[in-house]
Amino acid sequence: MNTHVKNATGEPADLSRRSFLVGSAAAGLALGYSAVPGLLGNDHALAATGNFDPSVWYSIAPDGIVTVTCGKADMGQHIASTMAQIISEELGSSWKDMRVQLASNDPKYNDPVLGAQITGGSWSTMMNFDAMSRAGAAGRIALTEAAAAAMGVPAGELVVRESTISHPKSKKSMTFAEIVKSGKITKTFTPDELKAIALKPADQYTMIGVSVPQLDIPSKTNGTAKYGIDVMLPGMVYGRVVTPPVRFGATVKSVDDSEAKKVKGFIKAVTLDDKTATTTGWVVAVADTYANARKAADALKITYDGGPNAKLSSESLLTEAKRLQALDDSGLFFVKQGDTAAAFGTAAKVMEAEYTTNINIHAPLEPMNATAQLQGDIWHMYSGNQFATRSGAIAAGAAGVDPKFVVMHQMWLGGGFGRRLDADMMVPAVQAAKAVGKPVKVIYSRENDMTMDFSRPLTFQKVKAGLDGDGKLIALNHDVVSAWPTKRWGIPDFLTPSVDKKGGLDGFTVNGADFFYTVPNHNVRAILNEMAHNATPSGQLRSVAPGWTFWAVESMVDELAHAVGKDPAQYRIDMLDGAGANAGGAQRLRNTLLAAMGMAGYGTKQLPKGEGMGVACVSSQERATASWTACVAHVAVAPSGEVKVKKLTVATDVGTQVHPDNIRAQVEGAALWGLSLAMYEKATLKDGGIEQTNFDSYTPLRMSQMPEVAVNVIANGEKATGVGEPAVTVIAPALGNAIFNACGARVRALPITAESVKAAMSKA
Amino acid sequence: MPNLNINGRSMSVDAANDTPLLWAIREQLQMTGTKFGCGAGLCGACTVHVNGEAVRSCQTALSDVVGKKITTIEGLSAKGDHPLQKAWIAEQVPQCGYCQSGQIMQAAALLSKNSNPTKEEVVEHMDGNLCRCMTYSRIQKAIMRAASEMRTASTATERRAT
Repeated sequence: MNTHVKNATGEPADLSRRSFLVGSAAAGLALGYSAVPGLLGNDHALAATGNFDPSVWYSIAPDGIVTVTCGKADMGQHIASTMAQIISEELGSSWKDMRVQLASNDPKYNDPVLGAQITGGSWSTMMNFDAMSRAGAAGRIALTEAAAAAMGVPAGELVVRESTISHPKSKKSMTFAEIVKSGKITKTFTPDELKAIALKPADQYTMIGVSVPQLDIPSKTNGTAKYGIDVMLPGMVYGRVVTPPVRFGATVKSVDDSEAKKVKGFIKAVTLDDKTATTTGWVVAVADTYANARKAADALKITYDGGPNAKLSSESLLTEAKRLQALDDSGLFFVKQGDTAAAFGTAAKVMEAEYTTNINIHAPLEPMNATAQLQGDIWHMYSGNQFATRSGAIAAGAAGVDPKFVVMHQMWLGGGFGRRLDADMMVPAVQAAKAVGKPVKVIYSRENDMTMDFSRPLTFQKVKAGLDGDGKLIALNHDVVSAWPTKRWGIPDFLTPSVDKKGGLDGFTVNGADFFYTVPNHNVRAILNEMAHNATPSGQLRSVAPGWTFWAVESMVDELAHAVGKDPAQYRIDMLDGAGANAGGAQRLRNTLLAAMGMAGYGTKQLPKGEGMGVACVSSQERATASWTACVAHVAVAPSGEVKVKKLTVATDVGTQVHPDNIRAQVEGAALWGLSLAMYEKATLKDGGIEQTNFDSYTPLRMSQMPEVAVNVIANGEKATGVGEPAVTVIAPALGNAIFNACGARVRALPITAESVKAAMSKA
Repeated sequence: MPNLNINGRSMSVDAANDTPLLWAIREQLQMTGTKFGCGAGLCGACTVHVNGEAVRSCQTALSDVVGKKITTIEGLSAKGDHPLQKAWIAEQVPQCGYCQSGQIMQAAALLSKNSNPTKEEVVEHMDGNLCRCMTYSRIQKAIMRAASEMRTASTATERRAT
C-alpha cells in the first residue's frame, strides 16, 4: 500500500480504541448504535449479558457460539469467513462454532492499519491478519487462565483444541461454553500486552491453510442471505431514480409530475439538492411499491440543462488526453530515476508506442440501492458498501447533519468490484426519506446503474523505450493520462506526493508502472485528464491502475523483446535481476513467471499455424502489497481476426494461503474478469452520456465464452497477500502478446476486437 | 387482487395485474431470494419456475401466472437440500451469491428434464444467466455433481421398488 493512506479519516489510527474490553461494547452508544427494533440486518448489538467479548472483533456466547464481527465489506471474497478463520486459528475454537456478522460504521471496527472502514486494494487479509490473530490468541489466553483457576491446575499444562480446554494429566476438561457460562473470565489486555503475545509459528497452524466451508455460502444457496436490496422496514416506501442523459454536470430545469400523479401509489417526485456534488440532475420518484415507483418515474416529464459536458464523447476525451501527453510540463512524476533524456541520446534504438483502454462499467449484479430511515436524530442507512467511513459522511452531507448522526448498517454485497466504494446511492435515499417523512428504499434500474457508474476511466498511455547495442532496456518514459478516481474523493491523504514534491498525484492511476524490472533510467508521469475527470467521474474498478499500466508495460516489453530478437519470457527474466530496491520482489516474480511457463508448456512444443502463447507478469496491486502473478495465454487467431482463447495459465505467489480453495476461486474469477475486460466489455461516451444501458450492449463474459483456466498458487511462507485483483491485470497483456505470436498482429487498444486484430494483421 | 399459487401455497397479492411477478414476490410476499438484476430478461437473476419451466420473473406479468404453479428458490426444497443446493455448497460455488438463486433455479429446470446433461447442454441452458463474479466453472461442476447424485438416487429408488 501507499504508506500515506494510513490516516484516511484525518485521525491517527488509535490503538487504544481496540484495547480489549471484557463484557462491554458500549463505545458506540453515544453515536446512537442502539439496536433497532425489527431490524432485519446482521448488525445486532453485540454486548449481550453473559457473553465473553475478548475484543471488538468477536464475542463468545454462553452456548459456545463464537460470533465474529467483520469490519470489511464482503462482496464475495468471503472476507468475513476469512477473518473468522484467522481468529479461530489462535482462539482454538471449533469451526462449527464460528458465525459471522457485519459491522456498523462505529469507528471501533475501523481497519487496524488503514484507520477507516474501507475495503479494497486486495488489502484485507494482509492488513488484518495480525490484529485478528492477536484477538484470537488473547481470547484463548483469557479462557485458559479462567479454566486453570476453575480446575485448580497450572495454565501451562492446559491444551486448547476444538473449543475445549483440557488438562491431560488429570483428564479434566471444560468447553468454551462452560467457561463463559461460569462468568469467571477476568483477564484483560492492554495494547502493549496484546502486541507482546507470541503468535503460533506457521508449522503449528491447524486452521490457516485449510479450505474450511465458507460460513456465508449456505445462505447464498437458499435465498436467505440479505443484501441491501432485501432490506424491509416497517412503513417503508420505494424510490426509483430518474437520471439525466448526461453523466455529470446536468441540472434539472423543470419537473412535470401531472402524469405521474395518475399512477396509483405515487407519493412525490423529489429533485435532489446534492451539496456533496456526488450526483447532478437526479430526481427520485417515490411510491408505495417499486413497481409503482417505476411507472411514476417513466411518467415524469423532466427538462434538463445538459451542462458543460453535454457535447463530449469518448473521442473528445482521447483527443484531450493526447494533447496533454504531448505537453512537456503536464502531470507529476510518480517515478523519476536516472536521466532518461541523456539515455535516449546514447541509445542504439528508440521505440515508442501508444496504448489505450476504453471506459469500463462495474455492473455488479445487484443494482445500486440504499434504504434510509430517520429515527429521532439518527439516520439509519442500510446498504452494502465498501467505504462506510466516507459513505456515512456523504449520507450526512445529503441530510445536512453531522456524520456522527449516521449509522451505516452493512449488508452482504451483491458484487462490489470497487463500485460500492462510492456513496451516490446514499443521496437519493436520504433526500427522498426526508421529503416524504418515511423510510425509503431507493433501487437503481440497471439503466441508472450503468449510465451513472463511477467507471474505470478511459486511459491513454505513451511509452518511449531506449535500448543499448545489446538490446537491453536502458531508458523508459511512461506517461499515463486519465481521470483521477481517488482525487474525486477529496481526501488529500489518499494522494501520493510526486517524487519531486511538486504536488499530490493519484497513485491509483499509475500503480504498477513502478515495476520490478531493472531499468536504470525510468520516468513515470501521472497526467490528469481534467475533461474526462469532470465528464466521467471515475472510480476504482477491480484492480484499478494495474489494469491499464501493465497493459502498456507488459505489451511494450514484449514489443522490445521481439524487436531485438529475444524470447519475450527470457527478456523479462533478464530484467528481473533483483538489483537494488527490486531485491526479493524481482526474484519472486521471476519464479512465478517460470511456474506459469512450466505449467503451460511454454516453448516446449510447436503450435499449429494461427496459434500462439504469450506471457505477462505483474507485481499487482502495488509495489508494497504485490501478489506476484504471471500468465501464459494460449490463443488461436482466425484469418478474420477472431480470437479464440484456448487456455489461461495463471501462477500467483501469495506468500501464505489462509484458504487455498478460496484463493483459487478468487484468482479464477479475477482472471476471467481480466479476459472480460480485455475482450468483451466496452463503454462509450456520446453527447456526455454513457451509451450502454444494459447487458445487451455492455456484455460481460458469459459461460459459453469461458476458456480453460489453470491456476497455480505458490505459498512460500512469506506474509499473506491479496488475491481478489492481481490476476485481473495480467490477462490483457498476455492475450495481446499471444495474439502477436499467433499471427503477427500487435493490438494496443482494449478491448481487443476481431476488427482491431484484423487491422493489425495487415500492418504486420 | 390476483391470487397466486406459489411454493405450494395460495397467496393473494395486493398488486395490479401488470405488475412484474418479480416485484410481487419480493415486496408483497417478502420472499427476497429472487433477485432483480436487469429488468430486461438479460441476466437471469430473477429466474423462477412457472409450471416447472424456468422463466424470468422480471418479464412476467402477474396476469400471466394466475392459476399456474410458481416455485421460487425458497420453495425449491423443504430444507434447502435440493441436490443442486447441496452441490452448490459442496463445490463452494457462490462468491457474492447474488445471481445464485437464479442460477440454481435455471439449473433445476434442466435437471428435472435431463438428469444426464452433457457439458454442452449445460452451457447452452445456462448461458443466459450472468455471474459477474464469474463462478461459471464451479456452476458447471455443481450441476454435474447434482445430476450424478440425482441419477444415483433414482437408481436406488428403482432398485428398492423391484
